[in-house]
This record gives sequence, structure tokens and C-alpha cells, in this order.
Amino acid sequence: MYDIVIRNGLVVDGEGAAGIRADVAIQNGRIAAIGNLPGEARQTIDASGRVVAPGFIDPHTHFDAQLLWDGQARPALEHGVTSVIPGNCSLSLAPLRAADRQKVVGMFQQIEEMPAVAFTEKYAKWTWEGFAGYCETIAPDLAINVAPLVGHSLIRLWVMGEDSQQRAATADEITAMQVLLRQCLNEGAIGLSTSFVDVDDKARPVPSRFAEFAELDALCAVLGEDGGRMLQVVPEFYDVDITIARVDQLAELSVRHGIPTTFSPVFDSTATPTAATRILARVAEQFARGARVWPQMQTRPIDISFSLLNPSLFLARLPRWVRTLRLPLDERMAALDDAETRAVLIRDAGPDGGEATFGRLVVRGGDRAPAAYVGRRVVDIARERGQGCAEAIIDISRENGLDVAFLAANGGHHLTDRIGPMLANPLVHIGASDGGAHLSSFSTYGDTGYLFSEFVRKSGDFTLEAAVKKITADTADIWGLKDRGRLKPGYAADIVVFDADTIDRLEERPVHDVPGDGMRYIRSSTGVDVVLVNGEVAWAHGAYTDARSGAICG
Amino acid sequence: MLSAHRRFVTPQTNETIEALAARALPGEPLDAAIDRIKSYNMHIFVMRRPAGLLLGSDVVFVEPPLQ
Amino acid sequence: MSDYAGALTSQEAVIVGAELAAGHDGEAELVLRIRYPNGVVGVVLLDAEAGFALMQSCAADSLEGLTGHSWRKILEGV
Repeated sequence: MYDIVIRNGLVVDGEGAAGIRADVAIQNGRIAAIGNLPGEARQTIDASGRVVAPGFIDPHTHFDAQLLWDGQARPALEHGVTSVIPGNCSLSLAPLRAADRQKVVGMFQQIEEMPAVAFTEKYAKWTWEGFAGYCETIAPDLAINVAPLVGHSLIRLWVMGEDSQQRAATADEITAMQVLLRQCLNEGAIGLSTSFVDVDDKARPVPSRFAEFAELDALCAVLGEDGGRMLQVVPEFYDVDITIARVDQLAELSVRHGIPTTFSPVFDSTATPTAATRILARVAEQFARGARVWPQMQTRPIDISFSLLNPSLFLARLPRWVRTLRLPLDERMAALDDAETRAVLIRDAGPDGGEATFGRLVVRGGDRAPAAYVGRRVVDIARERGQGCAEAIIDISRENGLDVAFLAANGGHHLTDRIGPMLANPLVHIGASDGGAHLSSFSTYGDTGYLFSEFVRKSGDFTLEAAVKKITADTADIWGLKDRGRLKPGYAADIVVFDADTIDRLEERPVHDVPGDGMRYIRSSTGVDVVLVNGEVAWAHGAYTDARSGAICG
Repeated sequence: MLSAHRRFVTPQTNETIEALAARALPGEPLDAAIDRIKSYNMHIFVMRRPAGLLLGSDVVFVEPPLQ
Repeated sequence: MSDYAGALTSQEAVIVGAELAAGHDGEAELVLRIRYPNGVVGVVLLDAEAGFALMQSCAADSLEGLTGHSWRKILEGV
């Protein structure tokens, strides 16, 4: 008797072929059979009217710390993600000597906006130093699969200590790094990550940025020893020429050592309209030469957010606002209280009272914003208050200590007619979500739902089957994840049952579920009925289960 | 054959901006060479803290954009 | 090479445009277009600190006020 049979669904197996009506049987955590499967099962899931697909794989996350207290990596699971890859951008939580923990906590604070209190002994079970120890710590509570990268900055820090943020490595130090990397790979790391952009909490470049190319080359020689493990990098993504230079460097490493490489992110912007296409053209040239350099692109648009607590370039077109906001805080508050200054600012915003500039902004939650205003447009709130938009922005901010954030949605990477074809490019790897990072700035969840709602249903850039393939089998193949990403007998039973007509991400909202009552922005899912991880139901009809069937995988 | 791309160097160990500029733009008066290097690499000389800190991993362009 | 060097001594990279863009971290960024002596226009991205410093260096009340200034102004605020 099978453990579970999922019946009556449209099976979309991840390989791109048209979906078929079939049953999927699960036994001992694996897919046992697919087809017409009469007979009993210990549990039956009715997938009538639903798609049955491989669980989605998120290749660019920073869940390293969150997994210490949340083995479900919420809300990733509820969006149908059954495997995540943390440890990106040179940052992992092992290997790490106890004496260096505070330094790395500082990096996570700066880069991922993870509050320091989340790392205190009360919440974090911090007993490990080696990579094996980290994996052993998170493994028992995992409800989601984890294929962790090891961070170049951590490798460097272990070998060089403080000097890792001062200078290039010596030959002996590089040899020691190679030994350490090899050990981490043997202990569960799926590859190496590095960064050319990140800084720590003291604004100092992270250790990986001090490495000369020869060091990275030596580490890639280790990656190439065992069939070729992944090198992930975050390049200077804000500059197309530097990014292309990094593509060329990655290509050299890929060909020399027989390894796959990936870089993240690639953004599209109306301010630099040729950047993404130039980068993708270079990638294509390098693939044609035999290199594997996978560019990652996120599906979701980029929003701009600001408050009057800090001068934002969003206001650069309003010079008097900029001058006022650059005042020290107490003087700024006084200026905003001053009738004459307020009148000048309102006039500065335009004859329409600032409606063109501010009207479409949405009040965000998570700070001191009045609950009645959260999620609403400034133009609507202003009308309700009997004010113009500029005046409303000023007063709502003043009334709440300036700690109210305003969101301008779709500030970049938002033009579907440009993004869709890029995402559909066979050389583009859908990823770059940053799940688990940017906690207090914006939500990094729900990109998979948005892929279906925007690029399948709305724009038609993808068929359902092609979209599923992009975030399952393609990802598994790029990263070398064994036995995942497909619905195929013998493969791990990582499965998502969803409604193709409704799967989506919901509105961004603040929650206080980070240890120490920290706030983060998340998006819940809709249209995802059931999620199974290694054959156990982890999410069903709106609720997480107690299943802890996730595994460290690779 | 790859299409042409903007030429760059990477800093040698402990190399100063003066030494890099002299190496990358030989024959140029040093001050002018440093100026040009800075103008081509504002990611290093404006956005970095501290500005001008050369890192072993840096891409340092030795010519202006080509397109 | 010497002709090019000679041209450089009489030409400077110049700011020819500026607009706002969304940064990956949700902050607004300043996209500067710079025309180099070879005639090609490249792009430099500035964060809020550098962007406002540049506006101050150029005594610019608006983004349009940045046009025509030497690239050296970008370094001044650093």
C-alpha cells in the first residue's frame, strides 16, 4: 500500500512536457509511481482541478540564521518552495570560530538586516564552529530541504583572522583555504559563494573582497575536483561594464575547472535600458565557448520606499524638501511644524498639491504608521483628511515622529513586456529572490507565485509547464541537485499542489516574528493547496503542519 | 572570439593607485594617468568607503566606456 | 596614444544627465550619465549620500542642474 496517493491532478513533471491527468504515488519519501493508480493508500490527496508539480527550488536565499529558529523557513514553504539554497554572497554561518561570531553577526545585521538579538544564545543554538556542526544543528528541525553554500568570507576569516579584511592571502593561507573548503564540501556544502560588493556593519568591505583572483582560482580548483561544484557570486550589478568583466572572469573559472557558476542579480531599469540585454549577450557568448555562467533574475519588481526620517533621492526633484530633510532631526521636526516652512514645502510640491509626486504612494506598516492608513494610497488618505497630498505626507509623518514609510511600487525591473522575454531566455536562471534578507526593507517572498500570475496568466511569456520547469528541473540541473526538481519515480517526493488560476503572492505586510520581536515584511501565498517535502505534508490548506521531513541535500 | 570589451586590470598585491596608474597607462604623465583612472572607476573612488581603497578583487578600468 | 592624451588635456568627462532609479535595496538611487572624451556616454550610480553631496557641490537645486558639470564634482563630496 502506498503511503500517499495524490489523485486526479494535472501532473506537470518539471521537464516541460504538457501536463497529463494522472495520480502520483509516494512511498518512503520517494515518488513510487505516476499514472492511473487504483487501489488504496494510507492517505489520499484529491488534486481535482489542481496542478501537481515538483516542489519549487529557490537558489538565492539567506535563510542561514532563520533556519536556527524556523525550520520551515516561513513563508517560503507556503509558496510551494520545498528546497532553498542559503549561504550566498560570501556569507554563511560556518565555518566560524566562536571568537569571530560577533563579527559575522555584524555582517548579517548590515547585509541582511537581521537584528543582533536574533543571534543571542536565547534564540540561536550556537554551538558549532565547523560546517558539519552547523548542518547538524539545523537538520533535526528542517521542514524544508536545504542545500547550503559555504561563504568565501567565512573561509577567509577562519584562515586569516583579522587580516582577512586587510590584505591579500599568502600562498600558505590559500593552501589552508583550499583544505578548509574541501572539508566543508565533504561536510555538506553544495558550493562556494563570494561577493564583490558587500560591506560589514562598519562599512568595511567583507573579507572576500580582499581576495586576489589567484585565490578564487585556487578555490575553484577545489570546486572542480568532484564533478564540479557551484561558484556563486554577487558582482557589481549596478554597473554593466563591471558585471560583464565578472562574467568573463566566471567564464574563465568555469572552463578551466569544469564548474558551473552563477551570478546575481541582473536587473532591468529604464534608466539603463541596454544593461540587462548587454549582460545577457555576453553570457550567451561565453556559453557558446563552453562556459557555464548562469545569470539570475528575480521575477518581482523593485519598489522604492522612504520616510522623512532620512533624506531620500525620491525627493531630489523637490529642493526645499531636500534642504529640510537634511537638517538634524530636531531642527527638521521644528521646520515641519513651522507654518511658513510647511507652506513653502507644499508649494514646492506643485500646483496640484503634490498629487503627481505623492498621490500614488502607499503607506507601509511596520513602523509608527497608523493602522487605519496602512496599505492605502496617499491620495485617498489626503482626501479623507481634507488635505493635499504633500500636506498629508508632512502631517502623517509629523504625527508619528516621522517614522512612517511610503512605498512607490514598481520603481524598477517592472516592465513585464521587457522582463518576461528575459526570464524566458533559456540562459536566464530564475532566482535572486534574497529570501531571508532585507527583512525590514521589503518582502523577498512570493516570487514563484508572481511568476505564474504575471508571466503565465497575464503576459503569456511562459506556458504553465515552462514556468514550472524554470523553477524546478532547470534549477536542479544548474546546481546539480540530485533526485529533485522532477516528478519521476525514484525522485524525492517534493511536491506542490496548486491552483493554476489563482497561485500568487499576496500583499506585502509587516509581521513581528523575528526573535526579539523584530519586524520583517513578508507576503503570504494564495492558490497553493498542499506542499509535501520528502513525502510528508508540510503545508495544507492554509496551515503549516508539524512535519519535519526536510533534509540537507545536494 | 569574444566581442571587444572595456579593458581592465586587477590591482597587484599592495599596489597603490599611483603604481597602478603608471602600470596601466605607461607614458602618461602620472597625475593625468591617475585622473583618468579615477574618472573611469568611480565605483572605487566615489562609492567605496573609504573612497579609493584598492581591493585585490577589483576590476579597474583603464579606458572609458566603449558603448 | 599621444593624440588621445592630448585630447584629454583639453577635454573632461562631463555630466550630461541625471535621473532617479530604484536600487535593489528599495532605496532611490541617482543615475548619472557621463560623457567621456571619446564621446561615449557611460553611467555612474550614486546612493543618497553621494547624490546629495553632488547636488551640493554643483549648487544644484534640481537634477537638471547637474548637467554640464565636470566629473570632478562627483569626487568633491566624498
